[in-house]
Amino acid sequence: MARLEIDDVTKEYRSGESSVVAVQDIAVEVPDGDFLVLVGPSGCGKSTTLRMIAGLEEITEGEIRLGGRTINDVSAQERDIAMVFQSYALYPHKTVRSNMSFGLEESTELSDSAIAETVEETAAMMGIEDLLDRKPGELSGGQQQRVALGRAIVRDPDVFLMDEPLSNLDAKLRAEMRTELQHLQEQLDVTTVYVTHDQTEAMTMGDRIAVLDEGELQQVGTPLECYHEPNNLFVASFIGEPSMNFFDGTLENDALVTDYFEYPLSQESRRDLESGGDLVLGIRPEDARIGDAQQSDRRFEAEVLVVEPMGNENIIHLQFDGMAVDDEFVVTTEGVPNVSAGDRVGVEFPEPAIHLFDGAGGDAIKNRDLSFTGTPDAVLP
Amino acid sequence: MTTHDTTETTESAVDPSEEGIDWQTKLRYFLNSDFVRSSPYWGIPFIIMGIAVYGGIGYNLAISFTDYAGIARPSFSSLDLEMYRRALADESFRAAAFQNFVLLVGFTSISLGLGLFLAVLLDYGIRYKETIQTIYLLPMALSFVVTAQLWLWMYSPGNGVLNIFVTALGFDSIDWLGDPRIALAAVIFALVWQFSGYAMVVFLAGLQSLPDDQFEAAKVDGASTTKTYVRIIVPQLKQASVGAAVVLMLFALKAFDFLYAITGNYRPPNGTDILATLMVREAFQYGQWAYGAAIATMLLLLSLAVIAPYLIFQHRQGSL
Repeated sequence: MARLEIDDVTKEYRSGESSVVAVQDIAVEVPDGDFLVLVGPSGCGKSTTLRMIAGLEEITEGEIRLGGRTINDVSAQERDIAMVFQSYALYPHKTVRSNMSFGLEESTELSDSAIAETVEETAAMMGIEDLLDRKPGELSGGQQQRVALGRAIVRDPDVFLMDEPLSNLDAKLRAEMRTELQHLQEQLDVTTVYVTHDQTEAMTMGDRIAVLDEGELQQVGTPLECYHEPNNLFVASFIGEPSMNFFDGTLENDALVTDYFEYPLSQESRRDLESGGDLVLGIRPEDARIGDAQQSDRRFEAEVLVVEPMGNENIIHLQFDGMAVDDEFVVTTEGVPNVSAGDRVGVEFPEPAIHLFDGAGGDAIKNRDLSFTGTPDAVLP
Repeated sequence: MTTHDTTETTESAVDPSEEGIDWQTKLRYFLNSDFVRSSPYWGIPFIIMGIAVYGGIGYNLAISFTDYAGIARPSFSSLDLEMYRRALADESFRAAAFQNFVLLVGFTSISLGLGLFLAVLLDYGIRYKETIQTIYLLPMALSFVVTAQLWLWMYSPGNGVLNIFVTALGFDSIDWLGDPRIALAAVIFALVWQFSGYAMVVFLAGLQSLPDDQFEAAKVDGASTTKTYVRIIVPQLKQASVGAAVVLMLFALKAFDFLYAITGNYRPPNGTDILATLMVREAFQYGQWAYGAAIATMLLLLSLAVIAPYLIFQHRQGSL
């Protein structure tokens, strides 16, 4: 168990004259026992970062410290880490038992009987004691996944590294394993770095999440911070499902003017923004409210395109007049859907719930008011 | 029940063996069947294989039971196992069988070991690059006659390369192929030179098909490179090893051309006579056709014995 510090780490791949920067000056600290999720779209550098922590990739610049010790020049064999691979990377010719004991045999001085005992204990904890004498080829995907986890846990390392460990499971099992993994991590209290492209996993599992895009760190924070107080447009659009709606506009006097509506901004929201600046208005689907087609200040007329009833909520796809054919925005409502495709409705964007981003750089100017909880759709006049 | 009835009616309607259908219709059905219509495709290779391979084996087997020798026609009137008994009692047959066994074990194991070693070295060097060095396969592209000639020069007692080194180091020159005690080792060495490249390529293909994460998982598990290869990677090459071993063993059983090319006649250097050379010599030099055929039959049985474990292995793996 140890504190992991990633200090301005850069990874550059050079081949001949050209070079590609995969990771740019990433700095994150993971306190002892914390669960950090690295999340981002494919190619954002999250796996490269994990592999640098593991020692499978060289670090071009910066430092990685584990428990205060710089491990840049320590080989993967000498770092006290355990990794769960996306493909599990179980050794196909070895039984589950030897798969689990291999790491202990190679990295510790434990006696054979001590190793056997540790393996049995871990297997019992993981519920795979019945599988110990089977080979990976004879196991189901879920069982292989447990063995891969068991192989990492049995090592009792300083840090767990997990590279999309759940992505090969079916949806139901994935949800189960998500909870179980979290529970295990809390129980073992081992510093964990978890890589995923799935924002649901990031939201539900991490103590903190680090959002990456194009090799650069966009935001580090608790899941709810990233959800409600995104640093920029990228984080706002990446976190949350269905994702936040965005409308490009310009600030003219005291209103945000978009192609489809004019949104009056209060003095508090405008702050010291200059008139004429480009802004992006963002609103989460659950914060927008649907009522009848009557217009008002912050309520605009739109047409319902598609209603997707999910049972607990309804995902309603809408379009303002004048929007391009493939352009739309999304509102979610609870309960039984009371609109259907083709209806003309009024959509309200409550001011405390909106986000404003700088139109040029994408940086957040105003995030939603956290004390605002909104009112149920039905109450809307 | 209804479905079943329908099926039966349909079947009887098209079944040509049903009474009431005349022979022209039956013939038409027969000529239209997949079996007949596809015959030009499988028929020709089937006939060629049947006559040339299995016919040859059958005829060879038949001859081995006769006393066929010299220029007379074989007589099939009295068939017995006399030639097999003669072979087992024959000193030169037993010597050839023993030397063949030494060649088989020595050549196969050294080639596999060296091939595996080279493949691991090469794989370690090129694992994250994408070039495969075909140069190691080059010896395989040479004809045995060329290889034999090459090694004949190398082993030459007077001015061969090896003896130049040996004498330069102050030893007496060695008659590599002339000394029966070392001739077989010299032949095995030359064959290993030619075939270890093949074994290496087979192993290399096996190594290259293993995903990188096996190496990475072992690395994270704390294993050194040597331990990774010994404990994780090489054990996964079972399939490649068995395949390469079978090819090499079969070659060792029938390594006639190389030995023939070394001396240019039916008698290979003393101490290197194997079953294949003995068989050819008995048959084509001495005209002992039946005796040669008996040796050939035993050679075939040995080859089958080599292949059998491979087939069983393949069957267990579910690929046969």
